Amino acid sequence: MVVAELAQYVATGLLVGGVYALMSIGLALIFGVMRVVNFAQGDFMMLGMYLTYFYALAGVDPLLGALLTIPPFFVLGWIVHRGLLARVTGGGDPQRQMDAQLILTLGLSLVITNATTMILTPTPRGIRTAYATQAFTVGPILLNEARSYAFAMALVLAAALWLFLTRTDAGRALRAAADDPEAASYQGIDVRAMHGLAFGAGIALVAAAGGLLATYYPIEPSVAVNFIVLMFVAVVLGGLGSIPGAFVGGLVIGLVQSLTLLALPFQLQNTGVFIVFLLVLYLRPQGLFGRRARTV
Amino acid sequence: MSLRIGRLAVTVLLILVAAAALVVPPAPAAEDVKIALVAPLSGRWARQGQLKKMGADMAIEEINSQGGIKALGGAKIVLREADAGDSVEKAVSAAQRVLTREKISAGIGSWLSSFTLGVTEVAERLQVPWLTLSYADSITERGFKYTFQTSPVSSVQAEQALELVTELAKKNNRPIKKAAIVGDNTAATVFFFKPLREKLLAAKGIELVVDEVWTPPLADATAIAQKLRATQPDIVFYGATNFPDSIQVLQKVKEFSVKAPIQGVGAWLVTPEYVKTLGKEMLDSIQTVVATHPMKGQEEIVKRFTQRTGEPFMTQDPLCTYGHVWLIKEAIEQAKSADPKAIRDALAKIDVTSGPAATSFYPNRIKFDERGRRVGATPLIVQWQGGEPFTVVPTAVATRPVAWHK
Amino acid sequence: MPSHARSWLAIAAVVAFGLVLALVLQERYHHRVLTLVFLWAAMGLAWNIISGYAGQISFGHQVFFGIGAYVTVLLVVKLALTPWIGMGIAVAVAVLAALLIGLPTFRLAGIYFGLATLAYPLIFRIVMDWLGYQEVAIPMMRERPAWFMQFSEPRSFDLLALGVLAATLVLSRAIETSRLGYRLRAVKENEQAAEAMGVDAFRAKMAAYVLSAAPAAVVGAVYIHAILFIVTPDAVFGLLVISQTLVVSLVGGIGTLWGPLIGAAIMVPVSEVLDSTVGDRLPGIQGVVYGAALMLIMLGAPEGLYWRVRQAVRARAERRAAPARAVTLPPMDTTPASAPTSTVLLEVRDVWKAFIGLQALSEVSFDVREREILGVIGPNGAGKTTLFNVLNGFLLPDRGTIRFRGETVTGLRPSGLCRRGLGRTFQVVRTFPRLSVLENVMVGAFVGERAVGRARAIAGDALSRVGLGDRADAFPGGLTTLELRLMELARCLATAPRLVLLDEPLAGLSTDGVDVMIAMIRRVRAGGVTVVIIEHTMQALLRLADRLLVLDQGRRLAEGAPAEVTRNPVVVEAYLGKRWLARMGTPAC
Repeated sequence: MVVAELAQYVATGLLVGGVYALMSIGLALIFGVMRVVNFAQGDFMMLGMYLTYFYALAGVDPLLGALLTIPPFFVLGWIVHRGLLARVTGGGDPQRQMDAQLILTLGLSLVITNATTMILTPTPRGIRTAYATQAFTVGPILLNEARSYAFAMALVLAAALWLFLTRTDAGRALRAAADDPEAASYQGIDVRAMHGLAFGAGIALVAAAGGLLATYYPIEPSVAVNFIVLMFVAVVLGGLGSIPGAFVGGLVIGLVQSLTLLALPFQLQNTGVFIVFLLVLYLRPQGLFGRRARTV
Repeated sequence: MSLRIGRLAVTVLLILVAAAALVVPPAPAAEDVKIALVAPLSGRWARQGQLKKMGADMAIEEINSQGGIKALGGAKIVLREADAGDSVEKAVSAAQRVLTREKISAGIGSWLSSFTLGVTEVAERLQVPWLTLSYADSITERGFKYTFQTSPVSSVQAEQALELVTELAKKNNRPIKKAAIVGDNTAATVFFFKPLREKLLAAKGIELVVDEVWTPPLADATAIAQKLRATQPDIVFYGATNFPDSIQVLQKVKEFSVKAPIQGVGAWLVTPEYVKTLGKEMLDSIQTVVATHPMKGQEEIVKRFTQRTGEPFMTQDPLCTYGHVWLIKEAIEQAKSADPKAIRDALAKIDVTSGPAATSFYPNRIKFDERGRRVGATPLIVQWQGGEPFTVVPTAVATRPVAWHK
Repeated sequence: MPSHARSWLAIAAVVAFGLVLALVLQERYHHRVLTLVFLWAAMGLAWNIISGYAGQISFGHQVFFGIGAYVTVLLVVKLALTPWIGMGIAVAVAVLAALLIGLPTFRLAGIYFGLATLAYPLIFRIVMDWLGYQEVAIPMMRERPAWFMQFSEPRSFDLLALGVLAATLVLSRAIETSRLGYRLRAVKENEQAAEAMGVDAFRAKMAAYVLSAAPAAVVGAVYIHAILFIVTPDAVFGLLVISQTLVVSLVGGIGTLWGPLIGAAIMVPVSEVLDSTVGDRLPGIQGVVYGAALMLIMLGAPEGLYWRVRQAVRARAERRAAPARAVTLPPMDTTPASAPTSTVLLEVRDVWKAFIGLQALSEVSFDVREREILGVIGPNGAGKTTLFNVLNGFLLPDRGTIRFRGETVTGLRPSGLCRRGLGRTFQVVRTFPRLSVLENVMVGAFVGERAVGRARAIAGDALSRVGLGDRADAFPGGLTTLELRLMELARCLATAPRLVLLDEPLAGLSTDGVDVMIAMIRRVRAGGVTVVIIEHTMQALLRLADRLLVLDQGRRLAEGAPAEVTRNPVVVEAYLGKRWLARMGTPAC
């Protein structure tokens, strides 16, 4: 019985973590390639939830709808990069421009949230799916269907991103641009285009994560506040800019949230996450999957 | 390049500021009586603020179309709303702004008890009477003279609600022996749960079998549903004020086939968005304690409300502001003055038992004690039936008979 | 750079202007906006100490703001203790918290540090809720309002907030002009170089963190009493506090005390104007406009308004200024002959260092004698720079000991070694780009001198000695390679070293430049300083070195007089190659 209960906690944690993982890899991609800390990431997720909702109104199953958010959000991300971020990050010295980009994305986040509240009203909405309240039974363990589907899709999308980065020319060029923008540009890689690609893909991934979330989570303009901090924690935990790191980071957060309940009062659940986060950073300052910065 | 953008930025900024300056509120006629509504109209609680505004607007329209305030020669009431946004700083700023810009006779707000605590501080210093629906005991524990609370305070609500619920359960031959407390740790919920946990349940011989309180946002409700399933309580006191948290809990409860009756603590559980998100079947027989809700005899008001707003039904938030505006009107009639101090004195002495103000609160009598709390204020129990929440307890004002959880 | 008196005058003018506004304004709401401007400016300035001057962007500074608020209010509520005293206790608690947080967190660098700091206020927020402090209202004290900071006259809050702002401005100015200020800027610009110049980066950051925690706590306490009247975990530990702080600081520009002041003076009123005009009519639009305004400002002035304006003013001034001068070579004195002594200054014994998959140094042992010039040669990847990094403390050897002036120094930080008299320069010159040439050198001078004035004199002297006296006010960006190398040498000399490690000081120099540099190095030795030099240019090294140390694949291959070493067949085989051997028929010098 105790084992079964523990197994249920672990399974629940992993399922919760699956969507954190997908939310976080988009952020990790953007940070890894552009060194941009995107405060508006959660708002794009919220928009992805709404788009999936409108797809669902038109009769598209939300699981498919989540995938269908990818193309429009890739384009949106590309445009946002061209129109806004490229003007302050450029392709050059990433360190110096950090500050402007923080406020730029903060402003973008304010605009998106408030405009959405005004246009789509603050009333929460939800996609009613049968699978939100059904579960697969595996022995004594219940696996919520909606979260299981979301988890599987998150795995597929993360794997697709990984294959893209390691097996395609564009992916390799992207990684080259991330590692050393200057050297990459000498090799004829258009660093600015690579940044646009990374930002577009990062936004598309988080929108898809939002779509999957919407299969069991209500949608409101301020929904991002419930997730944005956890996304950053996952990305830092995994090692800033590391895609597998962010994925594992997301899973770890879900697990810690779930297992914390065995040790701490429910109210302190997220302190468990933050304490694990700080401990990992103290012991491995570069995160779980990060590369140690060169000293000299 | 960057110079051009800089100039563009400055130009756009200037235009924006100029546009902002041009949008000036229309000047009211001299004899109008101005009432302030400070509520969150933007940000994450905008929905609640909008509902409050709907109720106030409706009351004002009614008053004005019925000839305004008679004691002041038919003066009209106008509403000055100020957006409390999503922080205490903005809420207090909004109150300060609206109360010092113009001569305001009385104010209403601000939904979230932390906002109300800050806003009433301003009202107290500026000596403007303030009506609030917030439950927190602390609001009327500071010795303020200008704050009037129409809702039963949290500590009293818990006691009264428990009384009503145990009575109801007994009548349905399902006496309560085991209870669960499930909810977040926002102020309103905490102050309701505290007396339950500390003394009330024990006094009734009820065993507390589950006590799970989380900090919003809730990551996942599996652990809660598991505990409820394992202990099978006879009632679940439930307080999840953050909408997504609540949806997750209710979905999990269904997924785990938990059979315990759910007794909510607050009006957040009876909003139209619950039907849209969960469907009416899942909600049926879930009930909650509220400060007020449309009662028997208010059918006309509800009909007018749903027609003018398009909302499917009327709930606590708009009904409260509706009653508050009417109450202010009554006070002005009695004070025969739009002066805030005179209105405050009238409110302190007021004792009405009929009219739209009195019928909006239970029991239908408005009289305040020296702390500014409404004498005898008692909560109602509202139950979801067929996708709509109805007042079911007390029976005298119930719009539907209660259907106890099977 | 404005003179000291001008800056203090400007601060006085700002405070006087604030005072006038506080007295002139009539409407209560306007006073509230004014108080908000003062408080957010002060909060921005507090943040600016750690994130602007020291460059450690913190996303968790509201932890001190919240501590200030909660400690003060809880003392009023529980013990009826006046906030005037409570504030002092709050500052003490905040300073303690800063030490406890900083100690582990400064192990992290850059954005990792920033995001890690975010965890602390979020933990506090959850814990405060858990403890039952969801909403703590300040009890109204009708008896002695002023004693409990409860003024009914809004001007009193203006003046209180202005006082806090003035104190923070003075603190910021004092830091800017102190040794700590220079050190912080050096750490921000290039932490490695700062360490090598004797700056204990960890201690400097800790000092800045503590100094920025104290005013943040005071601001938090006053904010609650003047603005909120109630404290909730979200209102003081939440994300809105840090985003407002970031907005006022980054819009205004960081690293200067004027930035947060400008940011708050613009953004707070803009936000309030938007709220009170369009916001109440069409709720939500104020957020859209405010967000758009932030974006536009950042597009137009990515480094903040202060720097943007300054840049524009500078550009105009420089157009009027004379064009760049030609390089003046340092005047050559007749160098007194100097010979190495037999005293061993640096003793390296059995040093090993491995990186993942690479043995960088194996079994390296050698001595450096006082007043000699020791050349270190070896092919690329021989471990020369790794050796320097081990010697000056950037890297910890896996095994072995290093003794400097008779003391075992293995494991000391670079700053500690620098203070003991071991200086170094870098293969690629490491400047502090936003410090003037003189200020760059001053960072070195602060090793032995606490007072800013005397450090400036020492730095000026060091600059004249390398012939850069008239470039003191220039910025490193405008210097030639030779001038940069000379500046780095001057900065190193300003630390008054006994031994300097020069990492390829001749790289990238023209023939004339090499001559100048060689003459300079000779003069350094003539001044009694021992020199260890890595160089690729064999010719130059043969002209310069008393002895040579040859490294190959991390091992010591040979050591001895140049003539001897260059004839050593093992060396010739491994490093110089057979063609060199043929040319070595005639000695180079």
